Amino acid sequence: MNPSVSLVTHIALLAIISFGGVPGVLPDLHDFVVTSNSWLSDREFANCFAIVQAIPGPNMILMMSFIGWKVGGLPTAIASALVTFGPPCALSYAAFHFWDRFRETAWQQRVRRGLAPVTIGLVIAGGYVMTRAGDSGWPGLAVTAAAVALMLATRINPLWLVAAGGALGGLGAL
Amino acid sequence: MAHALDEAGARSPVTLGALFAAFLKTSMYGFGGPIVWVRRIIVDERGWLSDRDFADLLSFCQFLPGPNVVSLTVCIGAKFRGPAGALSALAGFILVPWMVGFALGAFFLSYAQTPLLQGILRGVAAAAAGLLIATGIRLLLPHRRRPMALAFAALAFIGLALLKFPLLIVVLGLVPLSIAVARPDRVPAR
Repeated sequence: MNPSVSLVTHIALLAIISFGGVPGVLPDLHDFVVTSNSWLSDREFANCFAIVQAIPGPNMILMMSFIGWKVGGLPTAIASALVTFGPPCALSYAAFHFWDRFRETAWQQRVRRGLAPVTIGLVIAGGYVMTRAGDSGWPGLAVTAAAVALMLATRINPLWLVAAGGALGGLGAL
Repeated sequence: MAHALDEAGARSPVTLGALFAAFLKTSMYGFGGPIVWVRRIIVDERGWLSDRDFADLLSFCQFLPGPNVVSLTVCIGAKFRGPAGALSALAGFILVPWMVGFALGAFFLSYAQTPLLQGILRGVAAAAAGLLIATGIRLLLPHRRRPMALAFAALAFIGLALLKFPLLIVVLGLVPLSIAVARPDRVPAR
């Protein structure tokens, strides 16, 4: 199959099952784009992830766009963006009315409690895989660990942590 | 929260144009974590939702597929103005910010080979991976006394990160089991 079609189809599928948010799809996407198809290198994949943390806007949609751009230029970038938010938006709209009608029912609480742990595990897996893809040895791991600790222990604006990581990297510490 | 209401004064009318403008602003401000900005603008600044209603809506959106903040945008738009509201809010959140972000990012990515930018991106990626892990841990804290919840979070992590199973397999394999063992008793309101 044409790489662009294959990528966009894969992103569309991932978007529809990305319960808990897009970061949960990163491990699967990394495997598909870098390991299975070699469209991007580990470094390029990590760059796409890093760049969207450093610019404003809908960051996960932009990340999919940049991966699409690398694989098939602007048309693939736009298609990747559309399939990232289009189907989930339609689903959100439908689900909102449904959910609103059955608030506070026992089955809804049960679904909520059952879904939560799985989605959380997926988010943490996303962070783990990005640590591996960015692989910059133990200084990189130290930055990641420091970011985790500061986020959990303080109320610091995450933007400062991203800026500090960028500054350390820019000074050649990583 | 009384504080939020005082600060907002009279709540501004939720027109289609106002939805577009509010979400355009959240998106353009949204470095790092757009959710933070959605709360600030929708709750504190415009007074459209109470803190409690916002938290309810957010926890629901966290379980929907796709970018959480996009689900939140659609749900808030839909709540006030139906389908047209959802579309206005979504257009505000994505249209212009996507173009700006894509142009900026494409520019930087084409210089990604230079050692300086390479170093910066490496540092940013390391820090951002930490933010993701911390977000996951923070979400997990309210479940820490539920061994089953911890077990399912661990299984999802192992399946995806260590065994490298496809997401579809992990989700379809774990979600039904996790719901089946979940107790339907009340979650303490936060």
